[in-house]
Amino acid sequence: MDNLQELLHGFTIAVTAPHLALMVVGVLLGILVGVLPGLGAPNGVSLLLPLTFGMQPVSAIILLSSMYWGALFGGSVTSILFNIPGEPSSVATTFDGYPMARDGRPTTALATAFGSAAFGALVGVILITFLASWVAQAALAFGPAEYFAVYFLAFASFVGMGGAAPIKTVVALALGFAIAAIGIDTVSGSVRLTMGVDELVKGVSFVVAVMGLFGIGELLVAVEEEFHARAVSSTIDWREVFRAVGRLPRHGVALLRSAAIGCWMGITPGGPTAASFMSYGIARRFSRRGRHFGTGEVEGVISPETADHAAGTSALLPMLSLGIPGSATAAVMMGGLMIWGLNPGPMLFVDQKDFVWGLIASMYVGNIVAVVLVLLTVPVFAALMRIPFVVIAPLIVIICVVGAYSVSNSYLDVVMMLGFGIVGYLFKKLFYPLAPLVLAIVIGDKAEDAFRQSMLISKGSLGIFFANKLVTCLIVGGIALLLLPLLLQLTRLWRKPASAATDAPVQERAII
Amino acid sequence: MISRRALELATAVLTGSFGVAVVVSSLDNGIGWSSAGVDAGTFPFLTGIIVVLGSLYNLGRGLLPAATLANVPIAITSIELRRLAGLFVPAAIFVAAIPLAGMYVASALYVFAVLAIPRHQSVPRALAMAAATALALYLVFERMFQVSLPHGALAAAFGF
Repeated sequence: MDNLQELLHGFTIAVTAPHLALMVVGVLLGILVGVLPGLGAPNGVSLLLPLTFGMQPVSAIILLSSMYWGALFGGSVTSILFNIPGEPSSVATTFDGYPMARDGRPTTALATAFGSAAFGALVGVILITFLASWVAQAALAFGPAEYFAVYFLAFASFVGMGGAAPIKTVVALALGFAIAAIGIDTVSGSVRLTMGVDELVKGVSFVVAVMGLFGIGELLVAVEEEFHARAVSSTIDWREVFRAVGRLPRHGVALLRSAAIGCWMGITPGGPTAASFMSYGIARRFSRRGRHFGTGEVEGVISPETADHAAGTSALLPMLSLGIPGSATAAVMMGGLMIWGLNPGPMLFVDQKDFVWGLIASMYVGNIVAVVLVLLTVPVFAALMRIPFVVIAPLIVIICVVGAYSVSNSYLDVVMMLGFGIVGYLFKKLFYPLAPLVLAIVIGDKAEDAFRQSMLISKGSLGIFFANKLVTCLIVGGIALLLLPLLLQLTRLWRKPASAATDAPVQERAII
Repeated sequence: MISRRALELATAVLTGSFGVAVVVSSLDNGIGWSSAGVDAGTFPFLTGIIVVLGSLYNLGRGLLPAATLANVPIAITSIELRRLAGLFVPAAIFVAAIPLAGMYVASALYVFAVLAIPRHQSVPRALAMAAATALALYLVFERMFQVSLPHGALAAAFGF
């Protein structure tokens, strides 16, 4: 009951004129980046981040999270109307959404997608409402060793369940840790890893990293392939919208199953992209009409969309309550939290009640605002697709450059941002996952501090990580996840030597 | 034309050399256990080692025959490479010009150059967009958010 009261209090914060206005602006910007190929939720949120530095934290997070919802919805619009996924996580929506739109049912496809997406998001928010403070309470009893164990588990689950090549994930994680360590060491005060460049004493801001990795990097990937938008009609027939939404309950099983997959993948750092692919795959296997998938099947739209949004929303649960983001976008938002002077983690629920519950309440409202706005603006944004990419690209470059500069008024940051852009392109091209890299840059310092503090407590003995049941479970779980890819590889080799090679492209496709 | 293999190798070498730099640099901070607990260099040292080992593994994978890597042996075709350069080279020149010309002038020139020179837009429209970009930057940053963007050495020479 406590939670409900807090939530009502949150609504009084979220439902005010300035915050509603911010939601509208955020959602519109989000739909914009979602619709534009080459820009997605992580890019949009990182591009907007420097502008929020001067805002109240709760207003800033409402703006950023609304942008996130908008981007999730916007990504589905282009997937369905143009067969161009505006977001990696809406790739699976193109499989059945585009055939449906092409066969003259664009309104049905869009309404089905938005309806199931809203359902997925709702399940995610309800999950956060009821679990967040409970998880946070449990986490309040954590000591440094438990914290390190949780971080370890989070990193290990990227390796075990991330879907990318395990060693590439490990390299990406370790690179992130090393980048996070650059600058002044918070424990001893000594200067580390500056490699003779004095300006690096201030460290590498994660904003600079994400601007390069997601902004420039994805722009380079997008410019490589010239796409041709073949638009299908994008006018909305309102009666059909209500009919399509009314038909959704018939697919209740698919909705619930996809929402469950989404929530699970969102809390563990599988992320929305993996969730939507997984949900689509499972739906195809279990649906009675599984053979018709790929030709415009309603369930083929429902499954990825529900899972995508459920994952996107529930990814904020571990970010708020434990300080571990469940997706790349959540990692960027968490970096924002730290810049606004908040410390993500269980103490947030004690010290910053207004912030946490304002944000959770804004998720309910923000998603409603997003559904309404996206339906109203589909024709407008569909027209935007005709703006040539050559015009948009330089604007994105300028936003990245100015954003990187404004973090700490340093020209070196701009140059580093370009460097990160090249790294982002290479990583994207070769299927190195970017989310663990960003995650390690954001929480690498915290993980290291937790490790060193536990070492101080135990006087250098690793035994502290097996001192009680909780910490032992977490560490053992982490080690198991780390070894999981190795075990899978071994069993695969042992069973059928030939099938190992055919699995690789599927995996690589899933993380694009 | 760049093969997938060459790209894998180049990336592995890039990450590996960063790893080596991290390892060497962290030795200055001391690794291991001292009176103050775990030394400052220990954690970076370990991550550096992991990066180096992982890069060596990826390098080894990259050296294997291309068929095992993936079904795409060619990573970047020459047309794609030209498109990439078309985006990146002007962007790099733009960044290089910032200390001299300042953010506003450089970004206006950049927008004008990428739109007008390949004839994507007519000259007057490109000019208008360039001016609008600089003006928008000025209004948003200098006025609304009071963030001073670099004005450049040239502007300083003219006494701005």
